[in-house]
Amino acid sequence: MNEFVSAGLIGVSLGAQYALLALGFTLIFGILGVVNFAHGGFYVVGGYIAYGFVSHFGVPYVLAVVIAALLTGAIGYFFELFIVERLVEDDLATLMLTLGLYLVMSTGVLVAFGPESPQFEFPVSGTLQIGAFHLPIENIVVFVVCLLAIAAVYILLYRTDFGRALRALADDRQVAAAQGLRPRLLFPLAFGVACGLAGLTGALVTPILSLAPHVGDPVLATSFLIVILGGLGSVGGATVAAFLVGLVEAYSSVYLGGSKGALALFVLVLIVLVVRPTGLFGREVRGA
Amino acid sequence: MKNASRYFTRSAIGGLVIGMTGLLAGHADAACELKLGVIGTLSGPAAQWGLALKGAVDYVAAEYNAQGGIQVGNEKCQVAVTAFDGKYTAEGAAAGANAMVSQGVKFIIGPIGSPEMTGLKPIALRNNLLVMGDSYAKNAIGPQWPLVFHSGPGPSGWADPIVKVAKAKFGIKKVVIVAPNDQGGTDIASVDAVAYKNNGIAATEEYYQRGTANFQPIVTRIINMQPDAIDTASSPPGDTGTIAKQLRLAGFQGPIGHLGGPGTEEIARIAGGMDVLKTFYWYEPIVIDEKIQEIAVDYKKAFNADRPENNLFFQWVGAARMVTKAISKAGTISDTKKVAEALRSLPVEDPNLGKGLWIGQEFFGINQELSFPFGIGTIIDGKMQPIIKQAAATGK
Repeated sequence: MNEFVSAGLIGVSLGAQYALLALGFTLIFGILGVVNFAHGGFYVVGGYIAYGFVSHFGVPYVLAVVIAALLTGAIGYFFELFIVERLVEDDLATLMLTLGLYLVMSTGVLVAFGPESPQFEFPVSGTLQIGAFHLPIENIVVFVVCLLAIAAVYILLYRTDFGRALRALADDRQVAAAQGLRPRLLFPLAFGVACGLAGLTGALVTPILSLAPHVGDPVLATSFLIVILGGLGSVGGATVAAFLVGLVEAYSSVYLGGSKGALALFVLVLIVLVVRPTGLFGREVRGA
Repeated sequence: MKNASRYFTRSAIGGLVIGMTGLLAGHADAACELKLGVIGTLSGPAAQWGLALKGAVDYVAAEYNAQGGIQVGNEKCQVAVTAFDGKYTAEGAAAGANAMVSQGVKFIIGPIGSPEMTGLKPIALRNNLLVMGDSYAKNAIGPQWPLVFHSGPGPSGWADPIVKVAKAKFGIKKVVIVAPNDQGGTDIASVDAVAYKNNGIAATEEYYQRGTANFQPIVTRIINMQPDAIDTASSPPGDTGTIAKQLRLAGFQGPIGHLGGPGTEEIARIAGGMDVLKTFYWYEPIVIDEKIQEIAVDYKKAFNADRPENNLFFQWVGAARMVTKAISKAGTISDTKKVAEALRSLPVEDPNLGKGLWIGQEFFGINQELSFPFGIGTIIDGKMQPIIKQAAATGK
């Protein structure tokens, strides 16, 4: 029973981290129709910005996380404004552009910081022991921050004019533009918010795992898997799928082991896609 | 007439360019250059191992070049190093080997990981490349690859003495060995498991998907098996650091081993310090004494930078020196079979690392494995203990 509850807690904790990552990924696809292959790069850069500010400038970790989210958001904003925007209608070109940006980011980090992992510790450590359960305090903090960030994204999307405008553009770009919404103004902002989320996740999660130039690779793979499972472009779908993936990963790894656990996850995604090719909450055709 | 004149001018310029190119090519041929290829993991969680390799080959090349080059027959050849990131994958190392062949490289120092060695060997065999690699795979070397040598023994050489020391110090009765689920993990974990079992310790192997970032679920599974110790085998330093951190956070208090490649400094950095590692034991390829420390001092002088952090660096210096000595003895920079013959006949001896042995016949069926004295590292109560020196493994 302890094992079962432990696995559940780990799954929910993983799910929150995955949800924060996947929300950014699915936002960009849902609104701009762009598959952002640089998403893992923003995660890595977010981690290194936070690390750089903490270790080189002595900035408190909390402030460094905020700076990382803002700077990665700014990079995303300008990248969309000056580069992606010109080719936003060309799926292949945007795919290559974002892939190129990822290579530039990961190589840039490699050149600047070297390939080895630096010592980047979470400011709070220790374990909360409740009965037979060991709950790392850093995981609890990250979990709470992730939940708050996810709530903030939902408020932004569903309770503000900015969010309504973005959803209108996602539904039907031409009609929304005819109503006076300005994609050229809103797209870079949406891209910036999404990249800021990836940067925030990187700054939050890398101190509890590890920070190195390559750590964006699995992030991209996981984000992609989650948004495919949830339905490309669906914010709700990505959130549900993230928690589902976290739980499946936790339970399958605990009960089946690391190798079979990974297999179980992909088998689940395969089955879902066979039954529902558009994913759990995906639509048949994107309006935008 | 005007066209004919233009044609003549173009032909004359073209001829001049071709002539100059030929002249330059002739000049290039005349200058003797020994190209040493380095294929290793230069990025990712095992990058420390690759950086140690590249740093060592750069150092050995600089040693020769400072003396005007390496003596090959009647001439002195400059030593050049060309490196390729194998990314700890078979396809990465295979691409590297093909790139080396296209550049005329005949001697490869590396690779490091078993997947890399698996990808590289067929290309090395096809192109008669001499390889001095460091994979711990069960088939890293063998009679079917006569030009492939091993820079140091794998767990078949050193796991048993380390397990004996760990058992005596920590009273281990049950161990879980965790490693990646590819050849770079399974071949090492299974040999480690035999060493534990031969010493009366119950051993269970547990594998994870290479590329795993968060080990929390696997850590929970392992702790539920209630082992006395957990051995991370050949898990790269990046993975081992995260595993160690998460094991301690999950309440595991027992010793953590790393009977694979070294990298304790990086593991401690990721885990959060020596205090987090608390009780730790590992294979140390070299015991650093004053004589070996001289290499680090010379490296600093030559490159104005500290030597690569991972201690595999010293082992690679010894291996690269053995290959270059064999090239010098064979008097050729192109006939790899002749160089291999010379290498086999050389006594294992290094001015800094001391005397060693050629081993491998018992485990691999071929005596092409270098074995220098090695060490056993331990951290007890968060404090690094002096490395325990062991004689060169005999492989028996």
